[in-house]
Amino acid sequence: MQAPLRKTRLWDLPIRLVHWSLVVLLPAMWWTAENDNLSLHMTLGYVVLAIVAFRIIWGFVGSSNARFSQFLKGPGAVAGYLRGFFSGGPAKAHAGHNPAGGWSVLILLALLAAQVGLGLFALDEDNVGSPLTSMVEYDTARSLAEIHELGFNLILAFVVIHIAAVLYYSLVKKDRIVPPMVTGSRDLPDDVEAPRIAPLWKAAVVLVITGAFAWWISKGAPTSLEQLNQPPPASMEDFM
Amino acid sequence: MSYKKLIVLAAVAGSLGLGAVTMAASPQQTISERQANFKVIGKSFKAMLDEGRKPAPSIAVYRVNADAVAKAAAKVSGHFPKGTGSEAGVKTAALPAIWQKNVEFKGAAAKLVAASRKLSAAAKSGNVDATKAAVMGLGPTCKGCHDPFKAKD
Repeated sequence: MQAPLRKTRLWDLPIRLVHWSLVVLLPAMWWTAENDNLSLHMTLGYVVLAIVAFRIIWGFVGSSNARFSQFLKGPGAVAGYLRGFFSGGPAKAHAGHNPAGGWSVLILLALLAAQVGLGLFALDEDNVGSPLTSMVEYDTARSLAEIHELGFNLILAFVVIHIAAVLYYSLVKKDRIVPPMVTGSRDLPDDVEAPRIAPLWKAAVVLVITGAFAWWISKGAPTSLEQLNQPPPASMEDFM
Repeated sequence: MSYKKLIVLAAVAGSLGLGAVTMAASPQQTISERQANFKVIGKSFKAMLDEGRKPAPSIAVYRVNADAVAKAAAKVSGHFPKGTGSEAGVKTAALPAIWQKNVEFKGAAAKLVAASRKLSAAAKSGNVDATKAAVMGLGPTCKGCHDPFKAKD
């Protein structure tokens, strides 16, 4: 009954790099914040900014199964998928995010974008500002810092649910979804349409654009060369 | 005792009593006063950091804020009478170390005062670069006191 398997390129390199760099960066963001290493926290924050911006653009121009238009399904599809998931029947093989997982991608990107956005305006209790702190009032900047701190809990909750789901798929459903996120390939029935993988040069172009954007933000979003050459916002090193 | 003397005595006694009343601010009052005071420092500090990022910082802005910091800084060490820690029953980030290691605490507060005086003097001199440097000199005194004496939020 099942179609013969065929090795299929499932996840392109950019998606895997985004995924695994977040695995490294999120704990690093937490650790640097907890240990008061704000300058490293901010530097890594610019990297997160570039990665999130990259993934959002990749969601429009990337490989077919990286695109929002392909993996964001209506509520009916999500409900149907979840019903099948919990009734324990064999899931229909697909080459991409499942209808529930697709939305989780969007939720994570929204959480990360909000968290980075808050951090960019935050002011810590020792008056170490972020690149855009000077655009907001003192009280606002302090409140944003507090929301930024609380916001991490939402990201943590997301990560816990994500890992629990991955473990459930792997151990209970015996659905080996982790190896393809490493190797990029998976054996799928050959009647499953393979994703169209975008060329790497396209990813390089998007990465250059988003990297430049993150760098510009890190300089306090200057709008003139004169502003760019102004001293950067006070950092922890200035206070040592 | 003459009538006049009696009036003077009553007036003295009355003002002493009034003095005693004003001296005995409740821990809650003291805590909210000192929090407002720290906020003044934070706000003025931010205003000077923001000014420093402008292409042509205004010395007048530095002067106003440096004076505000100096005035507030001088009040800090008097804002922590015994009984105004967490035992007061109000939300405060003041750690018991303030009273356990009071000499160190007073020393840390004195560093803030010294840095704020330096800053005021620099702002008065009118030299923007020296003032900017003095603002940076203020920074470590915040962290230097927060780390041992203020609870993380």
